[in-house]
Amino acid sequence: MLVIPLLGIALGAGVGLLLPWEIPLAYKSYTALAILATVDAIFGGMRAQLEGIFIFSKFIISFFANALLAVGLAYFGYSIGIDIYMGAVVAFSIRIFNNLSLIREFLLGRCRQRRDEQ
Amino acid sequence: MSEHSWKIGVGLASMLLGMLLVFQFRTETNVKTYLPQFTTASELGIKWNRMQTDLNKKEQELKQLRQQLQEYNRDEELKSLRMAAGVTPLRGPGVEITLTDVQRPLKNYEDPNLFIVHYDQLGMLVNELWAAGAEAIAVNGVRLVAQTGFSCAGTTILVGTRKLAPPYIIRAIGDAATLKAALTIPGGFIDSQIRPFELGFKIEIKDSLYLPPYKGSSVFNYAEIVPEETEETTGAGGEEETETVEALENWEVANEGEVR
Repeated sequence: MLVIPLLGIALGAGVGLLLPWEIPLAYKSYTALAILATVDAIFGGMRAQLEGIFIFSKFIISFFANALLAVGLAYFGYSIGIDIYMGAVVAFSIRIFNNLSLIREFLLGRCRQRRDEQ
Repeated sequence: MSEHSWKIGVGLASMLLGMLLVFQFRTETNVKTYLPQFTTASELGIKWNRMQTDLNKKEQELKQLRQQLQEYNRDEELKSLRMAAGVTPLRGPGVEITLTDVQRPLKNYEDPNLFIVHYDQLGMLVNELWAAGAEAIAVNGVRLVAQTGFSCAGTTILVGTRKLAPPYIIRAIGDAATLKAALTIPGGFIDSQIRPFELGFKIEIKDSLYLPPYKGSSVFNYAEIVPEETEETTGAGGEEETETVEALENWEVANEGEVR
């Protein structure tokens, strides 16, 4: 269950090390949002899978929709000089913790179920 | 397919996350190498505070040193004034002159009055030494100061109020060669005052002479200190009045002299 994201992160880091790119400093807030969006997607995907409602197309679409909205908010906030992207950061964080707690409940419940069966 | 599709989705998202982390980390390390020290305003504030206290400390130190310098200058001035006034014993290189009356027995026709040292000769000698740049002079252990004068009292010479007896030993601190040259110059003091009267005269160059301090009192009954700023105005104002008085006094003194 946890192997897939860890493996993915390791692979991504490896690819990232091979690529010579870096993110300009001016896009710092966008990077924060992008990282939060991916983390949110990872947890959301895991939770959906655990609940048995994972649909690949929905996963991809929601990921990009969330990311686009967050980036749009950040851009808008940047152009009027207000840190609106903080709102997206907070929303993503709340979702991540929510999903994490749900995943935890599922896993604990499954463990308990197995023990009861034995 | 649906069993494993989440793996692809989550795996791709994780890979993106990993790449983003690496890129961001790279940016951050680059930024830190460009700005290695003070990244936040609070750190700058702390640094500013520290420098401010340093500055205050240094300013205080400067003030103290200035004061010390002032005190030092005053001490220096006091020292040079004390040296000039003759109230401190002095030591230094210079000449020692020994002056004696004639040594040989006089012949019947010779006037003994001519073959002894007179007070005016001592005065001339001392004057010659001052003129040659002597810094301090003592005659028979009596330090000469600004008010010291030579006078004659019967058969003895007085320097100030002290009686002198031959041999007269004059010690002068100064450039020894210059002092000696000033006295021995042809037609100078020795040629005009010593040789004609066959007086005993010895001049020695000494590396280290000790001059005792002036032991008399310096009492000022008539003179008083005038502040330096007002010196000129009072001098100019009182000039005309004093001129006539001075002339009168001079006339009286001259008359008295003639009467005697």
